[in-house]
Amino acid sequence: MSAAAAVPAAVGSGKELANPPSDGISNLRFSNHSDHLLVSSWDKTVRLYDADANVLKGEFVHPGAVLDCCFHDDSSGFSAGADHTVRRLVFSSAKEDVLGRHDAPVRCIEYSYAAGQVITGSWDKTIKCWDPRGVSGTERTLVGTYPQQERVYSLSLVGNRLVVATAGRHVNIYDLRNMSQPEQKRDSSLKYQTRCVRCFPNGTGYALSSVEGRVSMEFFDLSESAQSKKYAFKCHRKSEAGRDTVYPVNAIAFHPIYGTFATGGCDGFVNVWDGINKKRLYQYSKYASSIAALSFSKDGHLLAVASSYTYEEGEKPHEPDAIFIRSVNEVEVKPKPKALAAP
Amino acid sequence: MSSAVKDQLHQMSTTCDSLLLELNVIWDEVGELDTARDRILLELEQECLEVYRRKVDQANRSRAQLRQTIAEAEAELAGICSAMGEPPGHDRQSNQKRHGLREELNAIFPYLEEMKKKKVKRWNQFVDVIDQIKMISSEIRPANFVPFKVPVDQSDLSLRKLGELTKELESLQKEKSDRLKQVIDHLNTLHSLCEVLGIDFKQTVYEVHPSLDEAEGSKNLSNTTIERLAAAVIRLRDTKIQRMQKLQDFASSMLELWNLMDTPLEEQQMFQNITCNIAASEQEITEPNTLSTDFLNYVESEVLRLEQLKASRMKDLVLKKKTELEEHRRHAHLIGEEGYAAEFSIEAIEAGAIDPSLVLEQIEGHIATVKEEAFSRKDVLEKVERWLNACEEEAWLEDYNKDDNRYNAGRGAHLTLKKAEKARILVNKIPGMVDVLRTKIVSWQNERGKEFTYDGVSLLSMLEEYTIVRQDKEQEKKRQRDQKKLQDQLKAEQEALYGSKPSPSKPQSTRKTPRHSMGGANRRLSLGGSTLQPPKTDMLHSKSVRAGKKTEEIATLSPGSRGLDIAGLPIKKLSFNASSLGETETPRKPFARITPGSNVSTPVRPIVNNIEGDENRTPKTFAALNPKTPMTVTAPMQMAMTPALANNVSANPVSLSYGKQEALASNNVSATPVSLVDDRPELTLPEDTEFSFEEKRLAVYLARQVA
Repeated sequence: MSAAAAVPAAVGSGKELANPPSDGISNLRFSNHSDHLLVSSWDKTVRLYDADANVLKGEFVHPGAVLDCCFHDDSSGFSAGADHTVRRLVFSSAKEDVLGRHDAPVRCIEYSYAAGQVITGSWDKTIKCWDPRGVSGTERTLVGTYPQQERVYSLSLVGNRLVVATAGRHVNIYDLRNMSQPEQKRDSSLKYQTRCVRCFPNGTGYALSSVEGRVSMEFFDLSESAQSKKYAFKCHRKSEAGRDTVYPVNAIAFHPIYGTFATGGCDGFVNVWDGINKKRLYQYSKYASSIAALSFSKDGHLLAVASSYTYEEGEKPHEPDAIFIRSVNEVEVKPKPKALAAP
Repeated sequence: MSSAVKDQLHQMSTTCDSLLLELNVIWDEVGELDTARDRILLELEQECLEVYRRKVDQANRSRAQLRQTIAEAEAELAGICSAMGEPPGHDRQSNQKRHGLREELNAIFPYLEEMKKKKVKRWNQFVDVIDQIKMISSEIRPANFVPFKVPVDQSDLSLRKLGELTKELESLQKEKSDRLKQVIDHLNTLHSLCEVLGIDFKQTVYEVHPSLDEAEGSKNLSNTTIERLAAAVIRLRDTKIQRMQKLQDFASSMLELWNLMDTPLEEQQMFQNITCNIAASEQEITEPNTLSTDFLNYVESEVLRLEQLKASRMKDLVLKKKTELEEHRRHAHLIGEEGYAAEFSIEAIEAGAIDPSLVLEQIEGHIATVKEEAFSRKDVLEKVERWLNACEEEAWLEDYNKDDNRYNAGRGAHLTLKKAEKARILVNKIPGMVDVLRTKIVSWQNERGKEFTYDGVSLLSMLEEYTIVRQDKEQEKKRQRDQKKLQDQLKAEQEALYGSKPSPSKPQSTRKTPRHSMGGANRRLSLGGSTLQPPKTDMLHSKSVRAGKKTEEIATLSPGSRGLDIAGLPIKKLSFNASSLGETETPRKPFARITPGSNVSTPVRPIVNNIEGDENRTPKTFAALNPKTPMTVTAPMQMAMTPALANNVSANPVSLSYGKQEALASNNVSATPVSLVDDRPELTLPEDTEFSFEEKRLAVYLARQVA
């Protein structure tokens, strides 16, 4: 079956980028301004591609595995390293500065355009905010350190809201303007470890995925009416010969225009969902290995798919890591309103 | 000199000569003496001279007269011009050269006449204005007022002066109209006051000034009149206020009496117009005759009548008031302090021992204090009310929990379940309520220095009693819980030896109905609370039976028999369920127990998930996952109640993997857990915490690096 899937994958999976990372892809992100793609990897590199031209435009080599990366603007970005270090990368000069350090590997990094700050979440059970403009020394760049109950696994930003998902299924919601304490402290609605959290582009809530093939849709508004809208659904599962197989959901990416979202799981599938009408809109053909990360380009016409083993079964031989750039057809991502009940 | 006059003179001189010759002839004949002749000639000469002189004098006189006339005319002209403030239009000097005196005179005269006419006209204007000023002055000033300090005469008739006068007139006219307005204002006020007070308006006005009464004609507008008018207005207003207060006093006493004696509405209707004014301000009372003395007397008589009526019905009233007092006390739960009851005994009144009105007053006083006290107790009483309600619910819940058949799906069972759910929430709040109530009571007691009684019983002691009873109950519950925990532990050990563990909270309904109905879910939800109740003795037994059944069922179920499981349940309720389940569950760390000292295992793939019962079984629509046919059709999302997993799988991935292993063991599915090399303890991750794939990966990478 995997052999059969590999053939259409070459055709129907989109354009495969040349010079992919040599080890697992930890994250990839499209720029907010162009079709440039920033990719961080376990092979200790951060790579910048021009996804349109399929060109590797730059490469930064770090001392340790890179667990996350994000753009600052088109000329610079940030990386989060397993060597506890947060770095700022300047693409034009290929230079890098150290923004600061955590006490443990830095799992995730986000840049907030609203606050002009870099936010990092680490396994040292803290999140830290950095001012990227003060480049010399931690005492100048570090804005604040905010302890969490557990190791931070995923971050997401929308507007001034920051959602922090940690081990132990904690979810803390912050207002970037007042980081002294969380605006809301919650537990994940899902029973299992959180894999990924992503805010809705309209800022009303977030989607959270777990290792057990489920995604929950939650809302910030604590009123009864808003909370009654929340729900969870199962996905990335397989039923074969009476056996149910459940796969972790590694990645969620919201479409910047339609608000629909794609999920990627360890089953190698990318599904596109309409969260409002509770419909699956599309399923792309299976990729050779787990979907490690997903990102829509700024206008939503491209979807970057990292097909890369995510180590869910420990050390084992696996398909080579690859990045695919799909052009997204509108029918795949446009919400379909519920059809009227058939008479 | 004209030639005719010359000729005349010439003839005259010839005639004189011939007459002289004739005289000489006569004389010669006569032979007059020469001396005589000389004398006559001299006489002749002298007579001629005389005649000349006379003529010259006459001419001279006439010239002088002419000059005088001109001078006078010019003086008059100049006077008029200066009075009128105009430049003299006649230039005498220039005229003198060209004409004779007579012509000059002729030139001056018409001009003079014209100026005179002008002057008369101007004067008339002055007179007109002055007359008006005098007239208005006489109206608005006191009688002895002199309008013009400097009398106006004809010496200054300039336009400027006229302007001044006109201005004065205008200001006077304005003043007059202002005063008129003021007077009319006063008169209007006076009129309305008179009307309300029932006083003759004409009479009042006539007293102020006779001229004001007249409808037509000029009114006296002097300061004194206005002052007197204002005084009259104030006087009447004072009267009005006095009367109004009086009326309002009457009205309020009337209302009291009505209220006291239950006067029928028809009788009250007659005085509606009075009582409706009870809170009116002075300006609001405008109805004619409302405050006339007659009317006041009428109202007063009615009040007196009512008073008399009241006196005659005093006994009834005392009784009525007394019941009112009792009502208030009952409402405020103040019953039990009947110390004063004797004071109001009817017998004493009947016997004439006490003045009933005094008793009435006393009762009124008591009502007031009770009302005040009730107000101070209101806050506490509300809380007591809620507490009592909650206690009622608690009692109901206890009864309900004793009902073994409470989960049977009968008619209306879902309603009872809902009620039980609500009751549980309420009961959980009781300790807090009691605490709040206690602090409230203590502060109330400290503030007032007396005990807070509720229907005669000390509320604090009530609370104490309740707390003791509740503590007893709790202890009993705790004991039972501990016992249950022990049983669970026993079970867990058993399970470690033999595999599958019975699920303690697995709802029966899930077996009965493959798809979740609302009722089933509700039943499950109420389980969270039901764990508070004492466990039944046969629980262990029934559970193990259930577990056995379940494994059978799983083995026989085919994927096709499972429907879609879209549960329309809101997550909120579910999370409540989850948390309550979580509370009752003992945290498990079974990993260490099962494979003691083993290496970290990662979640396995494929993860077989079929131990979880219906809600987690993947429906057959997943056939659409077939990679060869990418879906363009929208498939419904598989929404399920998130925490609806069976309880034997706890939330961390390590135990998840354990759960899988267990499942694999029981279901015979193969999986290969990946192990870490265990010879470097500093690189292995702690076993009892969850880890993400990345953390494990990094551990492996670091281990490799060290190696």
